Amino acid sequence: MSLLGSNPARSDADAKLRGEAVFGADLARPGMLWASISRSPVAAGRIRSIDSGPALKVDGVLDVLTAADVPDGRTGVIVNDIPFLAADYVAYEGEPVAIVVADNRAAADAGAQAVDIDIEPTEPVSTPEQALAPGVRLVHPDWNRFAVTGGADIGRDGNVVAEVVHDPGDLDEAFAVADVVVEGTYRTPRQYQAHLEPKMALATYESGRYVIEVSHQYPFRLRDRVAQMLGVAPSAVRVVGHHIGGGFGAKLDVSLEAFAALLARRYRRPVRMQHAALEERLVAPCRANALVSIRSAVSGDGTILATDVEIVSDSGAYANNGPALSAIPMFVFGSIYRVGTARIRTRNVYTNTAPTGAYRGVNGPWLVFANERHIDAVADALDRDRREFRLASLARDGDLMRNGQPLEEISILREAFDRVDELAPWQGAGTGELRGVGQAAAVWLTNPMPGHATVKLNEDGTATVITSATENGSGAVATGLRQIAAETLGLAADAVTITMPDTDATGYDAGSQGSRTTHVVGRAIADASAEVRSQVLDRASQMLEAAPEDLTIDDGVVAVAGVPAASLTLGAVAQAATWSDGPITAGASYVTPTPPHDPACATGMLIKGWPTPTYHLHQAEVSVDVVTGRVTVDRYVVCQEVGRAIHPDAIAGQIQGGVAQGLGFALSERVDLDHGRYVQRTFKAHGLPLAEDVPKVEMIVMEHVDPAGPYGAKGAAEPPIVPVAAAVANAVSDAIGVPFDTLPITPEAVLEALEAES
Amino acid sequence: MPGAAGEQSVSIRLIVNERRHQLDVGAGETLLSMLRERLSLLGPKEACCEGECGACTVLMDGAPVASCILAAGSTNGRTVLTVEGLAGTGELTALQQAFVSHAAVQCGYCTPGVLMVLTALLEDTPDPSEADVRRALAGTICRCTGYQQIVEAALDAAQLMIRAATS
Repeated sequence: MSLLGSNPARSDADAKLRGEAVFGADLARPGMLWASISRSPVAAGRIRSIDSGPALKVDGVLDVLTAADVPDGRTGVIVNDIPFLAADYVAYEGEPVAIVVADNRAAADAGAQAVDIDIEPTEPVSTPEQALAPGVRLVHPDWNRFAVTGGADIGRDGNVVAEVVHDPGDLDEAFAVADVVVEGTYRTPRQYQAHLEPKMALATYESGRYVIEVSHQYPFRLRDRVAQMLGVAPSAVRVVGHHIGGGFGAKLDVSLEAFAALLARRYRRPVRMQHAALEERLVAPCRANALVSIRSAVSGDGTILATDVEIVSDSGAYANNGPALSAIPMFVFGSIYRVGTARIRTRNVYTNTAPTGAYRGVNGPWLVFANERHIDAVADALDRDRREFRLASLARDGDLMRNGQPLEEISILREAFDRVDELAPWQGAGTGELRGVGQAAAVWLTNPMPGHATVKLNEDGTATVITSATENGSGAVATGLRQIAAETLGLAADAVTITMPDTDATGYDAGSQGSRTTHVVGRAIADASAEVRSQVLDRASQMLEAAPEDLTIDDGVVAVAGVPAASLTLGAVAQAATWSDGPITAGASYVTPTPPHDPACATGMLIKGWPTPTYHLHQAEVSVDVVTGRVTVDRYVVCQEVGRAIHPDAIAGQIQGGVAQGLGFALSERVDLDHGRYVQRTFKAHGLPLAEDVPKVEMIVMEHVDPAGPYGAKGAAEPPIVPVAAAVANAVSDAIGVPFDTLPITPEAVLEALEAES
Repeated sequence: MPGAAGEQSVSIRLIVNERRHQLDVGAGETLLSMLRERLSLLGPKEACCEGECGACTVLMDGAPVASCILAAGSTNGRTVLTVEGLAGTGELTALQQAFVSHAAVQCGYCTPGVLMVLTALLEDTPDPSEADVRRALAGTICRCTGYQQIVEAALDAAQLMIRAATS
């Protein structure tokens, strides 16, 4: 019986349910010191002086480090723009200015509060619009001296961190002959990941090397970033991963680790750090706030002749991944619906706000929101049924994305429209007073970045998978990867164990991001397991005196097909192999190849292609309370294509959880900025969805096997968040008859619209 | 916080997970830090530290409390149950087993608090409606699951417990 498509228990469930699982935030070492950061209280300003005196008077404080005590120079993922500690000026509220080290946590926190930072405040560049205004102050006057890693031309210019331009030529003709021109501006706020476990680090310095113990989604990037910040070779840093209490993209880059490592060497003691509650929110790498303007030239028959898209996203005070993410619009506009000749310009800009970063689905939720709100607007302008117009405009197999990549299986999306309609017919949905229905579609990638696994057959016939793939909660490691190994080796799922991440012990892994683990690491495990299986069959064929092709392996037993008596346990085979030829192990690597594309399609593109696409259609039915303005989601349907469902219950958990986060983005979650400073200061103020707010999501999981994936699997975990805000906003706009082009659609926004309407 | 100098301490006696303790706790020390740092009970989680997310929830005399904002000194004479005390060294409880079979655990950081809230619910309301379960979870945030599998696990556990009690 196949293990694929079954729902074995996660390997970490028992420990997590007993409270025994050790998360990063649970770590401690005898003799460890604690350190805490003194952060800028203002969004922008010049540092006049830093007085450590008051902090040094706190009992237990050992020292206070400022910029003069730490490596100088700036580092970063794409642009080297982040100082180790702010030296001359601060660029956002919460920027690290000093580090206080103490012999206990309370003293470190008290010391960090006591450092007297004297800053002459300047008026912050608060919004992307302001950042682009002529003559505005530059967030970083020396921007032109920051190195760009890889040396790529990403279109930097003053407050513009990166610019991606796709300009196929003149659109004027299309707009001149158009019967209808539809314009819209779509505005979305930041979104806070709200992982529950605070960011932390535990660093030691042993035998000339730094050891970082942490809960992190991408230990190898952390290794490289800590090395970069400390100015040492990556091999001088070892990262050991522990259970992660949620990340959603927030734990993909360095945060406290290099500070802790520096101190561990300085004091030759373990050093522990952890964000305090407010700190966690001040510096979270939120999803970027963005403004998308779309103008479409449409002919009377409903053909979109041309589309002009202008995007500005907020990078905050530093670049982080913003330049790379600025390529993503290239994979949204024209990849779902035919939008004619498209000009797409994306600018990612500096502001005096906390740096934004990766949050599940990265730019997808706001790009799909803009794309789908706009499709509704075009359909409305043409007086066409919105679903029928979507189907008429849907791309076809062989169409090219804006990067020149062929859409090979976009017809899966057409099938999704049929499947959703069978379950929740569009006709009759969302009808009635203040009720509405909306749809949104997405084509999302599976992150292609490298992975490796070693599979070893243990001498008792079980197997161990050695990898630094990280379990972020999705179950991809705790069950999916184990099922793939077990299926290939002929073992029960619980006969496969899998290691925790350790950059010393495994090949490179690009972390839990973009749903890559099941597809990329799963493929490496399937390949390595197939090699282990082949070694097993070779050895067993000698022992059983049968040809390898006549052997079967099932539930840990190797048998000659049709001769049940002629059998051996995998343990017996492993023992025999170990003491003759040596232990049975095999390793394999995988990176998804970049799909064919036109390298000249745009300037500034750091992400070139859209590998291993999956297909998504969401449909929301809502009702609006005329008194309270509250939107209730009455019905929510997801149709998602996953390649092959390895663990259906885990996929269901990802869909339900992704939709919940998307509903928060659509209706309730707030991250507002006032003169560069966050308004929401407590956890609850963010309006995170609670159990009473989230409906049961109805799901249709489609399988279209991907020959490159392990048993056909693609990614599944990230994309359920992507179309949600778009589908909900379309439904609310339908219910009220007023376009909702700004998120979140709060009760206040609804009441305002209802008032304007009456 | 332990180690903070110059702080007045108060002597308390309490029962935690069926074991008696006598402790001198600081005036500003929270129940959460007492459990984690003095008793090495790391099951209750440190998360928002504002009593808003529920990851630190424990039962005090059977009722859920946010241990991150409760003064340790106020627990004198009380009985506290943490996630470690649910199954102890034995088999998982019916609720915990339902969490396994319903895939209700993802990252697991909210799980200790969610289990305590639902344990108290099932004690008070052995046959809860779905709305009862969702209302009980109002003080706990789970960012991973979207709550559905947790709700289904709780409802399933309730039925299992009713059947076990009546058979």
